[in-house]
Amino acid sequence: MTLTILQSGTQTLIMDAGRPGHRHQGIPGGGAADKLSFAIANHLVGNPWDTPALECALGGLHVRFDKDCTIALSGAQMWSQNQGLNLPLNKAVPVYAGDILTMSFARAGCRSYLAIAGGIKAVPFMGSVSTYLPAKLGGLTGEALKTGDILSLGEPQGEPRTLPKGHIPTLSNHIVLRAEKGPEWGYLSNASKRYLFTSPFIATSATDRMGSRLRGDQVALDRPLKMTSSPLLPGSLQIPPDGQPILALADGHCTGGYARALQVIQADLWLLGQIAPGAAISFRRNMREEAEEILRGKNSYYADLMPGFSF
Amino acid sequence: MTTAPAAPKTSSPKISTYGDHAVLVNWETQGFSEAVNNAVHALADQLRQSGKYLDVVPGYDSLVCVFDLAGRSMPLVISHIEEILAQQNFAEGASGQQIDIPVHYGGEDGPDMKRICAAAKLSIDEVIALHSGRDYRVCMMGFIPGFTFLSPAPEKLHHPRLATPRAKVPAGSIGIANWQTGIYGLESPGGWQIIGRTPLSIFDGKRSAPFLLNAGDRVRFIPQ
Repeated sequence: MTLTILQSGTQTLIMDAGRPGHRHQGIPGGGAADKLSFAIANHLVGNPWDTPALECALGGLHVRFDKDCTIALSGAQMWSQNQGLNLPLNKAVPVYAGDILTMSFARAGCRSYLAIAGGIKAVPFMGSVSTYLPAKLGGLTGEALKTGDILSLGEPQGEPRTLPKGHIPTLSNHIVLRAEKGPEWGYLSNASKRYLFTSPFIATSATDRMGSRLRGDQVALDRPLKMTSSPLLPGSLQIPPDGQPILALADGHCTGGYARALQVIQADLWLLGQIAPGAAISFRRNMREEAEEILRGKNSYYADLMPGFSF
Repeated sequence: MTTAPAAPKTSSPKISTYGDHAVLVNWETQGFSEAVNNAVHALADQLRQSGKYLDVVPGYDSLVCVFDLAGRSMPLVISHIEEILAQQNFAEGASGQQIDIPVHYGGEDGPDMKRICAAAKLSIDEVIALHSGRDYRVCMMGFIPGFTFLSPAPEKLHHPRLATPRAKVPAGSIGIANWQTGIYGLESPGGWQIIGRTPLSIFDGKRSAPFLLNAGDRVRFIPQ
């Protein structure tokens, strides 16, 4: 049971929940950049939430199914068709042997997840098949999928499912991230402290799974910082000397040497995967006491539907 | 297997929150401190062994402990760290292996060797003797899988990074960046001054144990 990549699109990668716990060895957790949309796609086709699926950035993916199966698309508002017929997002749909699915482009958000009942088979590395491009790990060959690649599919384990409408996130091209002060927050100038939380930034074309360089009001330090390379996390906003912040994403470096001005809260990390070049990014100050409550609330919202899933 | 030498007492580190789901432990040091790095690794060992955290990431003079906010609360994580730090001589137990790394210094494997020699006013043999003449601590693993940040190189060899990074530095290359020395675990772009290369594979994703070195280990370079 297989599917064939007819056109690989901007970047299509095999992803699962990633390989957490190896940052001390220089290996980021990686995995689906938007864990929530990935989990939803799997849920809809009857898979456990962390089953390997395809992550398609920005669009352009064309695949042919070589056998009848059930699929679901979640994540970016990607205009997609099967055999020329518009395909609903966030809904399990049957496809038939020989059908060709085409994904054109993302109108909002950045990454779409294509889950197939039974999942995609790939060889795990350190417990995960997620593709990690900088070290050519995971996936089929450690690289992005190419035209002509043939993917093996597993046997469907469960029946197609639905998800109440309120559980499907609405994505836009203005992404609001709740954040707390980072370790070097105190080095920022007063003006920078103010506008980090008020004026939006734009994600530049230097945006990939590792990070997003933002453009906006220059962020300045009010005293020099000579930092030794130190641990860095996804969702950290770093301020390099040129004052244009860099937001670390799912595959971001495990260490960095710039001021860590902000840290996105755990409950919002999934949104980092939906930052497309050109998107507006706003940071909203989050109060410490609220973070835990927000996370517990969000987790419990999905816990019954998707066992084992958490933000 | 050897254990790190007994660490002299270090000043207490500053514990701060790093967002809502991580804690940063930071020691104030003037430059690199062996004692601080011992403390970092001893703390990392204990936190990792507790099995309570998603990631425990040591740096040169700091450590980041990442937790799942749904399972642990910030005050509990901080008090766990404080408890470990309060143990007497806790830093004596830092783990780590002693590993010899064969190195071809200079030539094609060390394209920046001449620059380092000229800057240090030393012959190649003298630079090799200096660089391989001390044991290094693996202080942290970094920006790409297996990139090995070591304790400082001898002062005479300190040298800034290349003004323009190379597009490709071969795996196993050994370089210098200011006071740091380190090993590229994988081929990657990089700006360190490359003085040699080891034929050993520091990182191999296809090996059952992908990493030859781990933070906390001690390495000695053996000139070939």
